[in-house]
Amino acid sequence: MVSREEIEHVAKLMRIEIDDPTIYERVDKMIGYFDILDSAGVESEEISVREIQITNLREDKYIPFDEKLIEKLNSYKGTYVRAPKMV
Amino acid sequence: MKSGNISAEDFIGKTMEQIQNVDDSLHAFLSINDKAIDQAREIDKKIKSGGKIGQCFGMPISIKDNICIKDTKTTCASKMLENFIAPYDATVITKLKQQDAIFVGKVNLDEFAMGLSTEFSAYGPSKNPWNTDYVPGGSSGGSAVSVSAFECVASLGSDTGGSVRNPASFCSTVGYKPTYGLISRYGLISYANSIEQIGPLTRTVEDAAFMLNLIAGIDPNDNTTVDNNNEDYLKDINSGIEGKKIGIIKEMIGEGIDPSVLSATKDAISKLEGLGATCEEVSLDMVKYSVAAYYIITATEAGSNLARYDNLRYGYDFSVEGYEFNSYIEKARKKLGPEVTRRMILGGFVPSAGHAGKYFLKALKVKSKLTRQINDAFKKFDLLISPTVPILPFKIGEKINDPVALFLIDINTVTANLTGKPAISIPYAISNGLPIGIQLIANSMNDKLLLQAAYALEKTVKLPEVPI
Repeated sequence: MVSREEIEHVAKLMRIEIDDPTIYERVDKMIGYFDILDSAGVESEEISVREIQITNLREDKYIPFDEKLIEKLNSYKGTYVRAPKMV
Repeated sequence: MKSGNISAEDFIGKTMEQIQNVDDSLHAFLSINDKAIDQAREIDKKIKSGGKIGQCFGMPISIKDNICIKDTKTTCASKMLENFIAPYDATVITKLKQQDAIFVGKVNLDEFAMGLSTEFSAYGPSKNPWNTDYVPGGSSGGSAVSVSAFECVASLGSDTGGSVRNPASFCSTVGYKPTYGLISRYGLISYANSIEQIGPLTRTVEDAAFMLNLIAGIDPNDNTTVDNNNEDYLKDINSGIEGKKIGIIKEMIGEGIDPSVLSATKDAISKLEGLGATCEEVSLDMVKYSVAAYYIITATEAGSNLARYDNLRYGYDFSVEGYEFNSYIEKARKKLGPEVTRRMILGGFVPSAGHAGKYFLKALKVKSKLTRQINDAFKKFDLLISPTVPILPFKIGEKINDPVALFLIDINTVTANLTGKPAISIPYAISNGLPIGIQLIANSMNDKLLLQAAYALEKTVKLPEVPI
């Protein structure tokens, strides 16, 4: 069971405004279903990770891109994206 | 087209005519390539002049609208990306262009590929060509519909938890999810990077192998790709399956399965035995937990991937003037649909401090154990079998308000994604006018064997034509 306050807190952190009242019930149902994992018996299981050697990554170098991506935006100044005020 | 029996222009012309005739009622396409006929004429010119021509000879292909084609709208079926024009080609698109494929249009999906019915598309659902009251499956529903309804020869979709195989099963097409890393994801708009793959939907297994030949292989732009040594998946496709051992996944034919799906699965198993394979039940007990693990992992990755949609770098339809940063982003995110919003909230909740141990870390542990179990199964078996989806296609709107019922439809498909294994859905039966697909799974990088087995099974059935 997830409380309305918990859902609202997470939504706020994710900058999502909840205006659909059904969201609480549906998210609660979804998270309630995830409780099935409590009976999976995997507490002692190691989490496997896929490692890639740094030598296998592509070279870290500048690749020129001819198109000016910044010009595809509506709001920019010079080479900067314009964003709303932080405070 | 190669032999000159039909020109690329005529073929593309007929394809566009078919789209015009049927797509108003099916709604597979979100946008159409207006230059397709001109592109076909260019290919005809090349054929006539004896110029070098790619293996597709102007073959009409549809593309799921979460794969970037340069200078073309790529919406992800979301209002957030309604006017987004992709600035580059996905690697799969580059490869198909080099082979003279023609992209007839971009096709529908659940918004950002989150769903399994296309009902969550911001532009309305696609309809199943076998019965337009029913969903076509998803999230690559538009891909499956366009192939099934002869609106193209092949389509590219993406499969995160069954999004190629599920609609393939519901629309009676072949749907292929390759080994993780076999096909580049560069240019696929990210949902859950650690498990998603691009895959072809086609009318035959041979066509799927043909497509795989064109698009598989290592890509410097995607470090998760693997080298397939230019494997030819068409060569020896008719090798048969005599002597192969096939495991029947017990947990995928149990509780909740539709009787007609179970009957079709048993029939397919008999057919495979008749072709010389031996089939035996195998248990993968982590399958029971796979759907929960899958949704936790994908929601977590989606929560991160979708954070970029802020109306500054994508969206851009209202000014930043007069807004404080947080309220601006909140307003921008209202353009995301209800399912995407729910999954983003889930994606914030399950890995958060205080909850990660109960949800996210446990999901990763289930993934690890499931992978170990399936690897053990492949020590004994060459292939695994199950129905692709445990139920028949359902009516539009029937399950949309029951998230857990929707979750459970993925029970047979998510295992291949969580473990990185290749899997295919083969059209196998029609029950009450609705299609049933059979799923085969192989060990990693055994894609060729998987296609050979799928080809053998496909040849045992003759299905009716789609009633359009």
